Amino acid sequence: MLPRAFAEQPPLAAGHASATPGPAIETIGLCKEYGGRVVLQDLSLTVQRGEVFGFLGPNGAGKTTTVKILVGLVRPTAGEARLFGRPVSDPAARRRIGYLPEHFRFHDWMTGEELLDFHGRLAGMSANERRARIPEVLELVGLAGRGRERIRNYSKGMTQRIGLAQALLHRPDLVLLDEPTSALDPVGRREIRDLMRRLRAEGVTVFLNSHLLSEVELVCDCVAIVDRGRVVRSGRLKDLLGRSTELRITVDCVDEALLAHLRRYAEVLAVDGTTVTVGVAELDAAPAIAEAIVRAGYRLYSLVPMQRSLEDMFISLVHGGPV
Amino acid sequence: MNVLTIAQFTIHEALRRRLILAGVLLSLAFLGLFALGFSFLYGKVLEATAARPNPQMLAVFGATLTLLGLYAVSFLSSFTALFLSVGAISGEIDSGALHAVLARPLRRVEYVLGRWLAYAGISGLYVIAMSSAALLIARLIAGYTAADALRGILLLSLAAVLLVTLSLFGSTWLSTLANGVTMFSLFGLAWLAGIIEFIGEALRNEAMINLGILVSLLVPSDALWRSASFYFQSPAAMLALAAGRPVLPFAAGAPPTLPFILWSAGYVLLMLTGAVLVFARRDL
Repeated sequence: MLPRAFAEQPPLAAGHASATPGPAIETIGLCKEYGGRVVLQDLSLTVQRGEVFGFLGPNGAGKTTTVKILVGLVRPTAGEARLFGRPVSDPAARRRIGYLPEHFRFHDWMTGEELLDFHGRLAGMSANERRARIPEVLELVGLAGRGRERIRNYSKGMTQRIGLAQALLHRPDLVLLDEPTSALDPVGRREIRDLMRRLRAEGVTVFLNSHLLSEVELVCDCVAIVDRGRVVRSGRLKDLLGRSTELRITVDCVDEALLAHLRRYAEVLAVDGTTVTVGVAELDAAPAIAEAIVRAGYRLYSLVPMQRSLEDMFISLVHGGPV
Repeated sequence: MNVLTIAQFTIHEALRRRLILAGVLLSLAFLGLFALGFSFLYGKVLEATAARPNPQMLAVFGATLTLLGLYAVSFLSSFTALFLSVGAISGEIDSGALHAVLARPLRRVEYVLGRWLAYAGISGLYVIAMSSAALLIARLIAGYTAADALRGILLLSLAAVLLVTLSLFGSTWLSTLANGVTMFSLFGLAWLAGIIEFIGEALRNEAMINLGILVSLLVPSDALWRSASFYFQSPAAMLALAAGRPVLPFAAGAPPTLPFILWSAGYVLLMLTGAVLVFARRDL
């Protein structure tokens, strides 16, 4: 099931994002209400070409609705959305995109190959292109040799893989993946991660809708965190995570005098036995803190800078806690 | 182009799900039964009247048997049309299979038209094959000839296409189950209206006739059958029945009016437009 070495395989994408100007995805003030229930409010985001973009949020935050608006399945109540500069209401905007829906259900009376052939026709591929490309994508998603079986007889993981094949079939410039690994085991997840890295290497823009934070942290360049229908934070992952730093300090004994010393340089966040966690504005404060501890007569066992994980940031943002 | 892709995909589905195979087998069984019953009954009448031949009575009897067979064909084709199309859109929405398809550079109108084309084509062909077969059986056994078989078959095909379109429209905004219940209720209502109109004519009761006509305009399927049935009668039977008054509750004594046929054709167009408009605005 493991895809063979990527180097041997033909490119995934045509690599020539359409000549139209504009970012891969741009939404401005997107709103969506379902019978008075607000699902999206004023959602604006931009995804530049070639980015692997993670779209994060708790269940019900509006992630899937956003993706559905982008692929033309749902009409926004207000606001606009563009793909490569074209409004999503124009079917031509969908020519260069691939989409894996959240529930990845396909016509299960078809075989895998028939499904891909059908989608290839709708995507405007010629019979020759389809004939050459279908075995390639089947191999790419780890379904080589299974294309003649009915989708009805596929396992959940295989169905998700055929969905990915369907999304990558026509070498799109932008792929929108809604929870692409929800049915896969750890090995399968890793394969999909590698696939996304490979897409990025070929200049394909990837919009990844996920709540698997570790997965997003591993592959995404940029993220947006959405909560209750709005973007609450977005930017390059490096910048977002590197912004503030914590130090975990372990000493021989923690008392009020030590904490008083520490407060001169940092904010004391937590005390656990002989370990103190402090927040500092800059990592450069660490040597001064170590020196102060030693000078005050404490024995310093360790001082470890801790980078905030995406999970920490996510939890603090979507629960309205301090950032 | 996309419309044809969707139509071809729809026919492929009907074949793969063995809908067409089941339909063909059942229909062959029906035609066999019809041929057997027809030859048995017609033979009995021939035998009974051998001493004193009565061509008029034979003509009416032959027409009655033929129309009964075609009436059954009309029921079969109506059910085929409804069963095929009752979940044409809603079933695809429920299964979720539509999401990936509509994310392609495909207009929703193309999807609706493709589905319609396939189902209307299957139903129309079914009507043509079945009514031709029934008429052929009547001809072989009793030498029966319809007054205007082509018009009759075309009207019957229009009835099937009309039902396909109506239920396709329903499936763009109702769930498959709700649509099924609605469509069979409407179909039954149209049938009942036909009976009411027939009784009204027999009793010369204006109110009943008007009620019948009103429902026939709302759902013209049964009225189209009655229009077709007029052309399916043999000229000899028409003469014998002294045309002008229906004698069989399921057949008509007069040809359909042009406005009614135009209304039925316009009805198909209206429902199809409705399906396209509703589906184009629907969130999935």
